[in-house]
Amino acid sequence: MQDRYKHCYMDIEEVKQRAGPREFGPTDDMPEEYRKAATRMIQFHANSEIMGAYIERPFIRQAPSLDRKLAVSAQVQDEIGHGQLLYRAAENLGIKTREQMLDELANGEGKFLNCFHYPLDDWYELPMIMFFVDGAAMRRQATLKRTSWEPYAHAIDKICFEEGFHIKHGESILAELASGTRRDQERLQEAFDKWWPRILQFFGPTDDQSTHSDFSSAVGLKTMGNDALRTAFLNVYLPKAEKYGLEIPDTPAVTFNEDTQRYEVEEDDLDWDEFMQIARNQYPQGKGQIDKRHRTQEAVEWVRDAIENPGAGSAAAD
Amino acid sequence: MIFEVFRQEQRKDYHVHVGNVHAPDREMARMYAQVMHARRKPAHSLWVVPKEEIAEVDSDDEGVSMGGLTQKEYRWATNYNTDETFAEEIEASQREQEEAERGREEAEAND
Ligand SMILES: [Fe+2]
Ligand SMILES: [Fe+2]
Repeated sequence: MQDRYKHCYMDIEEVKQRAGPREFGPTDDMPEEYRKAATRMIQFHANSEIMGAYIERPFIRQAPSLDRKLAVSAQVQDEIGHGQLLYRAAENLGIKTREQMLDELANGEGKFLNCFHYPLDDWYELPMIMFFVDGAAMRRQATLKRTSWEPYAHAIDKICFEEGFHIKHGESILAELASGTRRDQERLQEAFDKWWPRILQFFGPTDDQSTHSDFSSAVGLKTMGNDALRTAFLNVYLPKAEKYGLEIPDTPAVTFNEDTQRYEVEEDDLDWDEFMQIARNQYPQGKGQIDKRHRTQEAVEWVRDAIENPGAGSAAAD
Repeated sequence: MIFEVFRQEQRKDYHVHVGNVHAPDREMARMYAQVMHARRKPAHSLWVVPKEEIAEVDSDDEGVSMGGLTQKEYRWATNYNTDETFAEEIEASQREQEEAERGREEAEAND
């Protein structure tokens, strides 16, 4: 859109004043601080979509029925698509190119959600991701329909449209296992015990510990804080776990505070050292996941080359 | 030259294709687009695009399959009988998918 005029430069105070749902777009001359914060947030989200797909991918092969296999493969395909939409939204900010962000992910500099650093061991663990983690992500994404960076909100519109299928398919697997044999129920409980603390950490440290939260909220990128989101998640997903006969582990302790109408989690019961190690991309299993992404990116390098420089490789073959 | 016109009704809306104009150049095309497509109906912004710049994928073309042709119910929230109303965003997603499904059925019926 080369012939569209640029709005005049906005300083950060003006941004804070105007901040509201879908308020800013590529034709606004945004201060660098805003563009950097938005890039950090959207790139993290995009990376998480891609790494989420890598967690689910092995279950295309391991699915117990053809219906499940088709649905899992459709989900993996959706997640990769979500990643692509988001890299586009981030690219519009002019801080990083899509290639740069993909390279950063492959070489271990790109950050992504804690839950996707833990590969899944078996089918019983799949609904932990598909129902609880995707459900948590949906809670968060729904609040981002009101983010101030318009291209981000547009990507979120399409993501939310598709995700209903993921969560319902995830719940359908959960319901099937929960009503299975005694052994199925035990294994489901084991998976839940293992994943529950990680799911509680999904929303990150509490607001007072969170580093970038204040600025992102002030400029309208984020529309709800970590604590409120975690409560909103627990409000509906905790009863779901109980509905399927899952026992909520005693630690980490989760209690509902009647006065504040909020769930409180005993933070000391959670392994924040591991969380921080993950946040630095140094958790061994998470490194394994990043390496997988790295190998795949390298393996298809020749395809990208062939597309971007058509004819370049054929001379040697002639 | 033919230019396709996309109209955005209000700020923050999506641009929607509303028709085209015949014009000798870009400048005139922008003017005609305003007269044709923004005079009565409210418009906040128009995109005016040379028709030949638009790449089209036609479902009638050979080798093209754009969903709907094969059984893909498994891709829809409506295919799973768990309850969607427990969380408003899941319910919203399902309602949007139901609307898309109705749109598909209508398109098929008109085929
Ligand atoms: Fe997704
Ligand atoms: Fe998903």
